[in-house]
Amino acid sequence: MRFSGFDENFDVIVIGAGHAGCEAASAAARMGAQTALVTLSLDTIGQMSCNPAVGGIAKGHLVREIDALGGIMGRVIDRTGIQFRLLNRSRGPAVRAPRAQADRSLYRAEMRRTLEATPNLHLRQGLVIDLIVEDGKVRGVELQDTRRFHAKAVVVATGTFLNGLIHTGKRTYTAGRAGEPASIELAESLKRLGFPVGRLKTGTPPRLDGRTIDWSVFEPQPADERPVPFSFATESIDQPQVTCYIGYTNERVHQTIRANIHESPLYSGQIKGVGPRYCPSIEDKVVKFPDKNRHQLFLEPEGYDTYEVYLNGFSTSMPAELQQELVHQVKGLEEARIIRPGYAIEYDFVDPRELTPFLETTRLRGLFFAGQINGTTGYEEAACQGLIAGINAALFVRGEPLFRLHREESYIGVLIDDLIHYGVDEPYRMFTSRSENRLALRYDTADARLAPHGRRLGLLGDEDWERFNRRRERLAKLRAVIEGTRFKRSDAVHAELSLRLNQNLGDAISLAQLAQRPNVHPELIYELLPAETRAQTSLSDLETVLADIIYSGYIDAQRATNERIHQHDYLRIPPDFNYRAISGLSREMVERLERARPETFGQARRVPGMTHGALATLLVHLKLRRAA
Amino acid sequence: MQASDTIVAVSTPPGRGGIGIVRLSGRQALDLARKLLCKEDFAPEPNRVSLHVLRDPETGEELDRALVTYFQAPRSFTGEDVIEFSCHGSPVLLLQIVDALLRLGARAAEPGEFTLRALANGKLNLSQAEAIRDLIEARTAAAARQAARQLGGELSATLQPLKDALLELIVPLESSLEFVEDDLPDLEIERLSARLSDLVRRMDELAATFRAGRLLKDGLKATLVGRPNVGKSSIFNALLKQDRAIVTDLPGTTRDALSEMINLEGIPVLLTDTAGVRDSADAIERMGIERTRRAIADADLLLVVVDGSEPLTAEDRELILEVAQSRHLMVANKCDLAGFSLGRLRETVANGAEIIAVSARTGQGLEDLRRAVLRSCSAPESATDSLLLTNARHYDLLRRASDALATAQRLLQERASEELVLVGLYDALRYLGEITGETTPEEILTQIFSTFCIGK
Ligand SMILES: Cc1cc2nc3c(=O)[nH]c(=O)nc-3n(C[C@H](O)[C@H](O)[C@H](O)COP(=O)(O)OP(=O)(O)OC[C@H]3O[C@@H](n4cnc5c(N)ncnc54)[C@H](O)[C@@H]3O)c2cc1C
Ligand SMILES: Nc1nc2c(ncn2[C@@H]2O[C@H](COP(=O)(O)OP(=O)(O)O)[C@@H](O)[C@H]2O)c(=O)[nH]1
Ligand SMILES: [Mg+2]
Repeated sequence: MRFSGFDENFDVIVIGAGHAGCEAASAAARMGAQTALVTLSLDTIGQMSCNPAVGGIAKGHLVREIDALGGIMGRVIDRTGIQFRLLNRSRGPAVRAPRAQADRSLYRAEMRRTLEATPNLHLRQGLVIDLIVEDGKVRGVELQDTRRFHAKAVVVATGTFLNGLIHTGKRTYTAGRAGEPASIELAESLKRLGFPVGRLKTGTPPRLDGRTIDWSVFEPQPADERPVPFSFATESIDQPQVTCYIGYTNERVHQTIRANIHESPLYSGQIKGVGPRYCPSIEDKVVKFPDKNRHQLFLEPEGYDTYEVYLNGFSTSMPAELQQELVHQVKGLEEARIIRPGYAIEYDFVDPRELTPFLETTRLRGLFFAGQINGTTGYEEAACQGLIAGINAALFVRGEPLFRLHREESYIGVLIDDLIHYGVDEPYRMFTSRSENRLALRYDTADARLAPHGRRLGLLGDEDWERFNRRRERLAKLRAVIEGTRFKRSDAVHAELSLRLNQNLGDAISLAQLAQRPNVHPELIYELLPAETRAQTSLSDLETVLADIIYSGYIDAQRATNERIHQHDYLRIPPDFNYRAISGLSREMVERLERARPETFGQARRVPGMTHGALATLLVHLKLRRAA
Repeated sequence: MQASDTIVAVSTPPGRGGIGIVRLSGRQALDLARKLLCKEDFAPEPNRVSLHVLRDPETGEELDRALVTYFQAPRSFTGEDVIEFSCHGSPVLLLQIVDALLRLGARAAEPGEFTLRALANGKLNLSQAEAIRDLIEARTAAAARQAARQLGGELSATLQPLKDALLELIVPLESSLEFVEDDLPDLEIERLSARLSDLVRRMDELAATFRAGRLLKDGLKATLVGRPNVGKSSIFNALLKQDRAIVTDLPGTTRDALSEMINLEGIPVLLTDTAGVRDSADAIERMGIERTRRAIADADLLLVVVDGSEPLTAEDRELILEVAQSRHLMVANKCDLAGFSLGRLRETVANGAEIIAVSARTGQGLEDLRRAVLRSCSAPESATDSLLLTNARHYDLLRRASDALATAQRLLQERASEELVLVGLYDALRYLGEITGETTPEEILTQIFSTFCIGK
């Protein structure tokens, strides 16, 4: 043991400048903590390991929430996105979400610029090999180059690097990402500290030389004409937008895959980790869906100034020469050359049931985990955890109560709640269906839901806060107009509308009521707004207000349903409640409850691993107690 | 540290029986049995019966010779180690054995505690636990059979295809929302809508069995009314085939509403005899009459008795008017007498209403009366053929589920966006889940991934 002192002192250390680490460091620093962001290479800050894209259904919601709280991902992608699209435009506003293709290298550069412009934030390059622990508390980190940094709180955000192992065909080698070293010592250090570790896997497709692609064969998919930004702070997206292309695999490709399936480490038994079902490799797709005669592919440019093209939908860990052959069998890619082959990677994750809702570990005070290490997958999933961990690291240093989000108010809350209660058995990705409150968690209400938290935490500056308040006032005013504008049977508009919609509108109808009728679109309401209101109203503000109106009935009904179903959730469990005295509760259940110490039955219901039977028993006893 | 203690109780009904069972459940069951048998090496094979002498732990005195069965955790009723002692049925003896086990460190089980443990250990789901209670309380063989079917998991098994069908509807709708960029087949609204209607119909059919199911479980309250001396008590007794009510020739001597349970084709019928419905100055009789009016209000079915051998009195007519709004049957008694005629009654009673001619004295027509009672409550022809919903909680949830689906279908027809249609589907799924267990979002995702090839 060397007891040389520390080389540097910080309040907070964040390990890893991936998507989680960048948000964590930025938040902690802006909350006033002297923060070091220690990462393997300063040249890969904010690197997108896989698809150069941010957002999508549910993931776009997460980015909006990050932005509303005062995180940075939304702003960075708004400046570096090269193709913006609002998904599900034809469906209800609750399931719409923005997605953007990024210029991979501009994204990295912009992220680094953003971090470097943040006061209290100190970038340090190096590989962390150990955590320094004293008296059950984390005290700092040790680097491979022998430096030791001291801090009161540490956030681990090391992504796919812990014991990373890459597979391409039968070849395997340790790496964190292709071309980057794995993080082996730190993984062993976490195991030594007793953290339960599991193994997951993910994969990525080959990148092609765009000059060798016959673009004429593919169907163009243009950007939206009016791009919808991620950040509430972004007025408009002005950079040029590029086009992506859609193509398909074919039976020949599938046959080649089938004939060579033994070459895939996924099918030879070589890979032990569980991969995400929603991100299947092309091998998986062909094997699991033998009846599909083609699978969709997207050709996505990696940036403005490169001819590298991402072959979305073709994730594979086949040997490189076979990948080249398969690519050649795709129509339009007969001549296409692979620049970087695809691969699969296995890595360690830590069972997230070890975490508190604040993303602090229960084993070591002051130690936080965020991102892929917790069993999630995706940049957005990582970033939102980074934000929460960074906030709490700063609060921890100040000795203030930690911050959590609830399921009812945010997808971030859903994500963390799911992780810590249910753990993961495959990489966890966000879906809107994971929330029981989907209609209330819209992308365009993230600010209303979360900006007040962001302000209180000190992450929203005056300018952002004023913008938020202006929007809130605008929306309230608009809502009043929409509820107050009525057409009576005697009005000419009433007759015209009845005719146009072929509906009986009754004696009088307000714009708000009209909006709830089938086949009434926001554009129609816009037309019907009083002229002076219309002049001051954007279609997007109007859509938000109309969505509030349209969903309100459902949200109330759903709340009533949830309350009925969880009517016992508010039963209080006295702090001295003796679970051991409950006959029939197994020792395992008792231990789980004693560890979690739920305050209400609702919390008990969410204690990880509780069986229905055990809960029914607990409920009977709580009710008996009340009756007595 | 012991999470839960070992409980003991006599688990056969109280009273003198041929055999009595003492049940012991918990971690220490085997230990305690060893002490009670005074056999330190007692290591029974699970589920095998063997004969042993039970001894008082302090005096060593022989208590009984009993058949001892060991059920090893988790393969027992409670999911814990269980020992059952089948002893000779004397209540005193059984108490002695329980007492011995209590002195050895067991605890007396509270009512329902064995079931609660079974619930806690996942040996039963909620509807099965409810069935146990029903089984214990069943008043007829048919009711017990229904409870046993539910206990066997038949209700869960009936609901499962409904849940599966719901999941099959949720999956394409959910996928079309979450995986917009994937190459998924278009939604076939009309087909989905037809499947929704089908599902609503199946749920409504199941819900409709509640009427019969409730009859089986809770039975039917049938009350005899009529002026004094028409023969209510005689009919009551004839139906009971046992002498309970006092029969006299003096008008107004049946003062108490007497109730007795009879079993009509498996349906428990609570038959109530009442005092005559007659304005009376007699205080005692008036009390009886008050009770009678209450019994009328309480009844599911009124058996309005008149004396068919005499002309109808004003009192009869008044009563016939009074019951017009309640479910009732007209019974003309004393058809054995010479002056008996249905004609007079036919004129008074609303056209076409059924009149059953009986004689309490000879038993003639009583079979018709029984059948009429069954028909009036539309009891199923053979109540035991299919699974019936017997629990009001289940019925309520099923109705809610069906309503939620009907709303979803309307929205689907209006081409509302999927997230709104899904609200009703999820509500329905949750209601069904509430009856037995739960459906998790994870299950839905699993379905999605096995149905569609999704992901880029
Ligand atoms: C091959 C591949 C394919 C993927 N495919 C998909 C996909 O299809 N869909 C999807 O949603 N997600 C995919 N992902 C996952 C996605 O990249 C991650 O979820 C996301 O990047 C996780 O963010 P993070 O911040 O947790 O970690 P990362 O972005 O992995 O960042 C970790 C950072 O920590 C640094 N680091 C690691 N160890 C140390 C150490 N000891 N000391 C100092 N620094 C360290 C690394 O250099 C890196 O900068 C894929 C990832 C890979 C590698
Ligand atoms: N002949 C004949 N007499 C009957 C019959 N039923 C009842 N009675 C007689 O009618 C009298 C009154 O009967 P009871 O049952 O006490 O009448 P209640 O006051 O309506 O309960 C008794 O004397 C019975 O024996 C019947 O079916 N035939
Ligand atoms: Mg009588």
